[in-house]
Amino acid sequence: MWSYEKRLQFPVNIKEPNAKLAQVIISQYGGPDGEMGASMRYLSQRYATPYREVAGLLTDIGTEELAHLEMVATIVHQLTRNLSMEEIEKSGFAPYYTDHTIGIWPQAAGGIPFNACEFQSKGDVITDLFEDMAAEQKARTTYDNILRLIKEPDVCEPIKFLREREIVHFQRFGEALRITQDNLNGKNFYAFNPGFDTVEGDGNCSPKCGCQQK
Amino acid sequence: MQDYTLDEYFDRYPIAMAYVPWQHLTRIYENLEEAFHVGTIFPELNKPFTGRRVIK
Amino acid sequence: MMNTSEQNRMLKDISIIDFTLVDLNEYLDTHPYDKQAMEYFNHYARIKNQMMRDFSARYYPLTADLSTDTRQWNWVLSPMPWENISQEGGCN
Repeated sequence: MWSYEKRLQFPVNIKEPNAKLAQVIISQYGGPDGEMGASMRYLSQRYATPYREVAGLLTDIGTEELAHLEMVATIVHQLTRNLSMEEIEKSGFAPYYTDHTIGIWPQAAGGIPFNACEFQSKGDVITDLFEDMAAEQKARTTYDNILRLIKEPDVCEPIKFLREREIVHFQRFGEALRITQDNLNGKNFYAFNPGFDTVEGDGNCSPKCGCQQK
Repeated sequence: MQDYTLDEYFDRYPIAMAYVPWQHLTRIYENLEEAFHVGTIFPELNKPFTGRRVIK
Repeated sequence: MMNTSEQNRMLKDISIIDFTLVDLNEYLDTHPYDKQAMEYFNHYARIKNQMMRDFSARYYPLTADLSTDTRQWNWVLSPMPWENISQEGGCN
């Protein structure tokens, strides 16, 4: 279960409102490669993983992504909370403002609402880990793209932090994949789904249900 | 160039699979505040972005 | 209501130590037999727990169960993390 610490993982102190930046950064809240998707992906996948190191890692990284979600929301909140009506109209922020005022609502930059199609939980630990490694790279690329747009130090510091976390998570998921491989037979990693099938002996399916292959 | 002389001979690993090299706890930043601003306590995982768009 | 700079410094130090623990925690998840990493973790975990208790006693509870309030429930009355009362920030 979850506990809440009343602080941000990394400080966010933005002094200047900027509606254009807010529209871009909201994508990391509810967009396809954003933190909400990341968190839900990892927290959903962990149930079907047969190896504790992997389930534990998915839990811990999924939890950290919730803290990142909070940071992204804070960035958008601080970029929008002191906007004048004129700034809202001139910046192209009016459509979002019409539906949400300056509330935080999970959507992609283009307006598509957050939905579970933004991630997969395939129930096969190898497949899920490749999904996770890809997700971290996509998030990293999105932060690269955001960093090209930002000149304000107040905004770039937390964004650089979030980007570096994606790189570290990629390494961890890669290591989780190595652990998974070590638990399987290298002659054929795909002989069976270790979280679903049971198989006897050397990985060949047999009519007799044997112990689950370790 | 990366250090490929670690004892992981990926070219002998089974094909039709991908492998990420293991990180070993080589070094942690001495200054934890610096690590915090970088975004990791492991210097070898620090990979900053320095790209800029150039139209030729 | 402005935070004192001492309060900000303490909160920042807690964030720095906790972040060290998070990075070590994820490392240990895939290296569960790394004794050196566990030693580092245990060392910083002790420090963080003490800092959390100190901060919560002096200012406001950082987790609800660290509350020792008798006159007002500061868990809810203290600032939310997304308000920026502190004037720190920007590239260091």
